[in-house]
Amino acid sequence: MSDNKQGAIFPAKGNIREGILDFIRQGLSQGCFDAVLIPAKMPLSDSFTHVLIKDESLLKDAYPLCPVMPVQGARAISDITRHGKGMKRIAALMRPCEVRATVELFKLGQVDLENILLISIDCPGALPLGDWAKDPKKTEEAFLELLKGGSNENLRPVCKICDKFSSTGGEDLHIGMIGMKDSILLVPGSSKGRDILDTLGLKVEQDISDWQKQVDAFTEDKKEKRKQAYKELESKATGLDNLLDTFSKCINCHNCMRVCPICYCRQCFFDSGDSKFPFEDYLMRAEAAGGLRLLPETLLFHIGRMLHMSLSCVSCGACEDACPTSIPVAQVFSLVGDRNQKEFDYVPGRSIDEPLPLRVYKDKEFEEVEQSYAGASAKEET
Amino acid sequence: MTKKIGVYVCECGANIAEKVNIDKVIAAVSPIKDVTVVERHKLLCSEGGKEFLKQSIEENGLTHIVVGACSPKQHELTFMNVCEQAGLNPQLFQLANIREQCAWVTPDGEEATDKAIRQIRAAISRVPYHESLDKKEVKCSPDVLVIGGGIAGIKACQLLALPDRKVYLVEKTPSLGGKVKNFNKLFTNMESGVKLIAKEIQPLLENASVEVLTESEVKQILGFLGNFEVTVTKKAEDEELNFSVGAVVLATGFELFDPAGLPQYGYGKLDDVYTSLEFEEMNSPDGSTGGKILLKNGKAPESVAIIHCAGREEKGYCSKVCCLYSFKFDNMLKSQLPAAKISHFYSDLCIPGKTYQKFYEDTKGTGVEFVRAAKTEVTGSGKGMTVKYETQTGSKGDLTADMVILLPAMEPSSDAQKFAEMLNLARDKKGFFVEEHQLLSPVASAVEGIFVVGCARGPQSIAESIVQSEAAVGKILSALVPGKKLELEVRVSEISETLCTGCKTCIDVCPYSAITFDEARKISAVNEVLCHGCGNCAAACPSGAAKLKHFTFPQIYQELEQALR
Repeated sequence: MSDNKQGAIFPAKGNIREGILDFIRQGLSQGCFDAVLIPAKMPLSDSFTHVLIKDESLLKDAYPLCPVMPVQGARAISDITRHGKGMKRIAALMRPCEVRATVELFKLGQVDLENILLISIDCPGALPLGDWAKDPKKTEEAFLELLKGGSNENLRPVCKICDKFSSTGGEDLHIGMIGMKDSILLVPGSSKGRDILDTLGLKVEQDISDWQKQVDAFTEDKKEKRKQAYKELESKATGLDNLLDTFSKCINCHNCMRVCPICYCRQCFFDSGDSKFPFEDYLMRAEAAGGLRLLPETLLFHIGRMLHMSLSCVSCGACEDACPTSIPVAQVFSLVGDRNQKEFDYVPGRSIDEPLPLRVYKDKEFEEVEQSYAGASAKEET
Repeated sequence: MTKKIGVYVCECGANIAEKVNIDKVIAAVSPIKDVTVVERHKLLCSEGGKEFLKQSIEENGLTHIVVGACSPKQHELTFMNVCEQAGLNPQLFQLANIREQCAWVTPDGEEATDKAIRQIRAAISRVPYHESLDKKEVKCSPDVLVIGGGIAGIKACQLLALPDRKVYLVEKTPSLGGKVKNFNKLFTNMESGVKLIAKEIQPLLENASVEVLTESEVKQILGFLGNFEVTVTKKAEDEELNFSVGAVVLATGFELFDPAGLPQYGYGKLDDVYTSLEFEEMNSPDGSTGGKILLKNGKAPESVAIIHCAGREEKGYCSKVCCLYSFKFDNMLKSQLPAAKISHFYSDLCIPGKTYQKFYEDTKGTGVEFVRAAKTEVTGSGKGMTVKYETQTGSKGDLTADMVILLPAMEPSSDAQKFAEMLNLARDKKGFFVEEHQLLSPVASAVEGIFVVGCARGPQSIAESIVQSEAAVGKILSALVPGKKLELEVRVSEISETLCTGCKTCIDVCPYSAITFDEARKISAVNEVLCHGCGNCAAACPSGAAKLKHFTFPQIYQELEQALR
């Protein structure tokens, strides 16, 4: 991030949530946007989900910081704009990983961002969806403790090691709150974001280096934790045998794919007829190996998914939340994604203008793994 | 229908038989399901071999054929033709390369035999999944669009215009003739460029098969070889013209590097510093001085400095004709101003070919001075100018000159970018269009049906530009015979409408611009005429929506499984 970046200060009266909601209210009433997509508590049950709110009075149930991530926001935006942009403008307030996934989906032609304003927020992390389902009260309490600076032991494993919990560059506006008490920091990331602050009469002249320093310190800490975690994951995610072990509990429900914001195919290849073979083929495979595990392409499904989406994987953890047999899917994918992304010096969601690595042709690339033709001797034809 | 697979193993003389134990191969593949015939042959590609194969297919009523022999690059087509003659769809055939991939590269005979068995087994496993793909043809337009009315474009038009072929010549300026029409003299025979070009233009204007569109610009070109849809805007009439052509010749020519960017030459600041094209214009009878070589003050120059390679270092290439036309300038100067002192400042001279050396020596003999200088600088004072120079050994000198003529580098026309975007053509770092292959296919572009000739490809002489036009015309005449249909590649990609989710990855990775996006339905579609079947899209599509015919998932899977078993 550039050193001389500035932001606007917005009052929060000792309550960050109220501060954010006030900002949203002002945005709605001043016509900066016509509706807001924001996590909210459902009236009848103890559940949270993304809600598209037009009516200001409903904002009372909105929780910009919510304990769990039941739906990946990028999926919500993809659904809304599947048939193209609308005439009205929507502000989407989401976690950084949701914003980053949205940016990736934009590059993949799955969302239209013209009338969408992406607002990210310093994210404290989310708790496992399973914990919430078992005991919502206890989980909410744990989350409130966490917000007050308490233990983060209960966070989802990928959240514990997330080093992209703050502004990552792809958003229109970022809400900074780490280390903030009576105000929040509004940092524009695009002209769209700047326009909103202009309309609301908020001057972008606050030096943000104090906040930035704290974010950077946290980031370093998380990076260190990430390194440690990767060391432990190494034995789960590398090599065929380890992967077979890790995914041996897989029940082929494909939930991980269904909740993944990046898995955007209409139909997964592994759900299609093309992935099924004639009867004899299975017999032959069983004969060749001594036995054939059914369903047969379990690991291939996960490897296929890695191959297809790991360059855009934002480590949001939705897959792991959705896994009924508690396979550390998100952790494994996070490690694989990280490694693959580094090979291309690519950070998913960092910028709307950064092209997907697969679509960039370079004359010279990965020469170190290229096989040279020199030495392959061919006899003259007779 | 019951499958009857025929397997033929070629000995290729001693090439395969010496290393691979063919009896063992035959024993290994004979029991495989649906394999009806297994035969060996000494040389299957010979006339006798082909006849044997044809008879065997017919006699046994075979439905699929596998041949274990050489590389598909060598004889795939040969054996596919035999299949066709035997009444079998040629796509129901698979060639296992047991020569280049086994016999020639695997020293151990047993290992080579095992490898050959795997390869043939893989082919047998794959071939039942083949589809009979039928040949497709498209009607094509024999007409041609030529862009640019310079000498290269004019020459192409002349040769292409026939009673059954219309040629459209689009020129953005009001008149034809390009740069050459301003050249009073041409090297080396000092013929008049003005007269030469007039002689070339006249027949075009009289030819009913040529439609000359001056003061016009190409707005859009869509389509592919044989079927380009063109929109041209006629600027004067402010009207649009639509027509279709089968091929496009780009002859968009060159412009000169602007030497104002090199302050050491004083161009734009000092009165009598000219570019080569400005000097040509001065010499033209229709020019501002009526063909007389005059200074801005109306007097004739007594001394002239010609500075070579203005911008060569900046551009990074030699423009290859400047030295030659500079000798022509000497000639022009000497014939008008016999007493004028002429000095050339050059760092290298480029005088290749059979005629130019003599031209140079003849010029040198007329008292023209040649100064080899590493650096040159022009400074002006009230009276005339001074050319300061530094030789390659570091010694310095200066000379006065009334007139300075710069020989700036040739650059691609400012339209090059527009056409590169319109036609998806690659340009090199200098901005010139890139050939399909620098040595083997120098006038074709990577987009089929689009040809690039003359200075749009890089600096060229008039003669070279004309040779290129003739070459492009030759390619067009043989590809677009009036009434002929084009036979298309059958192993092309197709994109499933139900599976495509519109991410456009395929469009980015397609090197042939063969995939278009349907904005309304948000799905991609392959144009079968443009598709070359490279498979990039099929590999990149995560949805499995893009499939390459003859290389489908089940086909490759079956092949791999047997190869790796």
